Amino acid sequence: MTHLADPVRASAHRSTAGTSPPGRSRRPGSRTTRPGARRLRPLLFCAPFIVLFAGMYLAPIAYAAVSSLFALHRTGLGLTAPTARFDPLSNYTQALQDDAFTSSLIRVALFGVVQVPVMLGLALVLALLFDAKSARGKGFFRLSSFLPYAIPGVSAALVWSFMYSSQSSPINRLLEPLGAAVPFFDEDLALWSVANIVTWSWAGYNAIIIYSALQAIPSEILEAARMDGASAIRIAWSIKIPAVRGALVLTTVFSIIGSAQLFNEPTVLQPVSGGSISSTFTPIMSAQSAVAAGNHHYAAAQSVLLAVAVGVVSFAFFKLTERKGQA
Amino acid sequence: MKRSTVRCAGLAGTLALALTVSGCAGSGSGSGKASITFWGWAPGYADAVKAFNRSHPDISVDYQSVQPGAKGGYQKMLNAVKAGNAPCLAQVGYETIPSFATQGALENVAEYASPDEDDYVDAAWKSVTLAGNVYGAPVDTGPMALFYNKKVFDSLGLEPPATWAEYRTAAKKIHASDPKRYISSPYMDYDYAGLAWQAGAKWFGTAHDSWQTTMDSAANKKVADYWQSLTDDGLVSGAPMYDQAWYTGLGNGDIATVVGAVWQAGTIKGGVKKASGDWAVAPMPQWKEGEKRVGNSGGSATAVLKGCDDPEAAWEFAHWMSTDKKAFGGLVDKAALYPAATGLLDLPQLKADPYFGGQNIYEVFADASPHVDPDWTWGPLMTKTSTDLNDGLGKAWVGKGSIAGALRTAQGKTRTEMKKQGLSVSD
Repeated sequence: MTHLADPVRASAHRSTAGTSPPGRSRRPGSRTTRPGARRLRPLLFCAPFIVLFAGMYLAPIAYAAVSSLFALHRTGLGLTAPTARFDPLSNYTQALQDDAFTSSLIRVALFGVVQVPVMLGLALVLALLFDAKSARGKGFFRLSSFLPYAIPGVSAALVWSFMYSSQSSPINRLLEPLGAAVPFFDEDLALWSVANIVTWSWAGYNAIIIYSALQAIPSEILEAARMDGASAIRIAWSIKIPAVRGALVLTTVFSIIGSAQLFNEPTVLQPVSGGSISSTFTPIMSAQSAVAAGNHHYAAAQSVLLAVAVGVVSFAFFKLTERKGQA
Repeated sequence: MKRSTVRCAGLAGTLALALTVSGCAGSGSGSGKASITFWGWAPGYADAVKAFNRSHPDISVDYQSVQPGAKGGYQKMLNAVKAGNAPCLAQVGYETIPSFATQGALENVAEYASPDEDDYVDAAWKSVTLAGNVYGAPVDTGPMALFYNKKVFDSLGLEPPATWAEYRTAAKKIHASDPKRYISSPYMDYDYAGLAWQAGAKWFGTAHDSWQTTMDSAANKKVADYWQSLTDDGLVSGAPMYDQAWYTGLGNGDIATVVGAVWQAGTIKGGVKKASGDWAVAPMPQWKEGEKRVGNSGGSATAVLKGCDDPEAAWEFAHWMSTDKKAFGGLVDKAALYPAATGLLDLPQLKADPYFGGQNIYEVFADASPHVDPDWTWGPLMTKTSTDLNDGLGKAWVGKGSIAGALRTAQGKTRTEMKKQGLSVSD
């Protein structure tokens, strides 16, 4: 909170010090405001933000964290309202011993390791193609690759579930004369069927972010490279890609977070997946099923563990790319 | 108006206000009027409430429409109970009543409700009770029958099967006539529960202040093994129920039967309009020839939520809505509800439909309804139990694992969670 408020406060100080010396800017006759009150004034301007930020963002996080420290307690048939007992470790111990939850974490980790590079690689290639001098119909391709992002995730997943379902799959119908069929919901393939939907939805979006970073490269650098006889591929590799490193780091972190929060696509595919996608397929689905069991405290613990894992991975990734940048 | 005078005396006594008897039993205006809030989602409830308010000047019911239970309605109700501002009455599915009860969200209204017990079908009454407490008025039920594609059956010279053994024979003939044709789709959670229910294969029970789990009982094994053998022999379609592929199959004859509750009539009719005239209804196939045992799937109650300050008035409305001929007729028309009250099984609104070839399918259900096994109890964590069960069933129906195994696993997970929450579970 403070690091967000500080720059504002500091700049407010500078402006009062620089442009309006104490006493001068006040209405005639008004006394100089006390320094304490003056320090409070910028805070007052920030108040709407701080109040909303605290109320809508910090409070729910704190609530979940605190809630995760309590264990649900009932007795007998449970016909009276359940009570919550302070037992800080019980939910966390349970979560770490819960095979369904830990394997859901491993599943999204695997998903992230494979899907994120594939999707961003694709996005980078698309962005470079949009940016290529010789490309035709750029506007059309930019828009059409971005279009899947505009389709709500649930609707997209529904359409894909139709494409995958063994009863209706047009893909398998086309392959039928060849005697082949893709078992989209095979135990081993289901995760990658989900990855395919996510890639389809987000590759274009990420391509646009990378493309806009490409626009920021000064044209004289590119021109100099061309005059030195660098090929288009050489320019892409040695100038463009290093120049959009920042955008790539950003999209990677967003994608890591997105992978961890995987929910819509597997949930929509679940009923047609023939059991390959379980109700605890991803960590968030696992937390949801704890809510379904009426155990919010356990769901909160799972959410906190997921958040910590995502935080650690994102932080580590930032550190890793930073060090490489300095070397 | 027997109860209004009782309440009047009570009010006059307890409040000791200058409340005259005439003012209380009179036109209904003034402080003697009870006001009840009611949350639900079934279309038609609003009209029933209006009719009630017109005919009952001493009670005013305020109906508020909420999201269907599984789509957030239940969570809203539980939150409201926790916050202490819950309505008196709420629409709650039978399968959710024990979950609500074990969160302390329901009020026991046995003292007002018990005299009316005989107005309801046994199984429905059992569905609103738990360990001797009564939590609301049954509204509708889901007695089951066999929906079958008469066109397919006729073309193969088949009669609707009267027993499960005959059902298996029919399954073979249907699949032999066309490899794309199957007798049925897989049944999941509550649809599957109806099949177990018919066979007396209970899932839960209560005794001595403790929960019993019997999803792995011999009776359950019998039902599971039967369907397992059908699917092992490739006689069950892979199309999941309520999926587009299922509706397509129902329409073109690739899925020839649905063993389902009365409300499936609306699902089939609404989902496959072009199959008009193809479908008919026969009684549920039996395990023993000549028996008459029926399962139930679905149905809901008007439950009294914890904190209701006038449970007596709440019961009066709930009971009225479930048993009033005119009001319920409206619910049949608007929400296709099937009455839980014994006196309403012959409502004029439950009539023959040209979609089902002019057959009055409700005669089959009126015959079935009193034979629904009343000895069924839902568990305290049904949402979890049903999702865990579906995880296993989804695999079992496509040949990975078994239905019996799915039941065993779901039971194991439910027991673990129940114990973890401190509920008493007997071995």
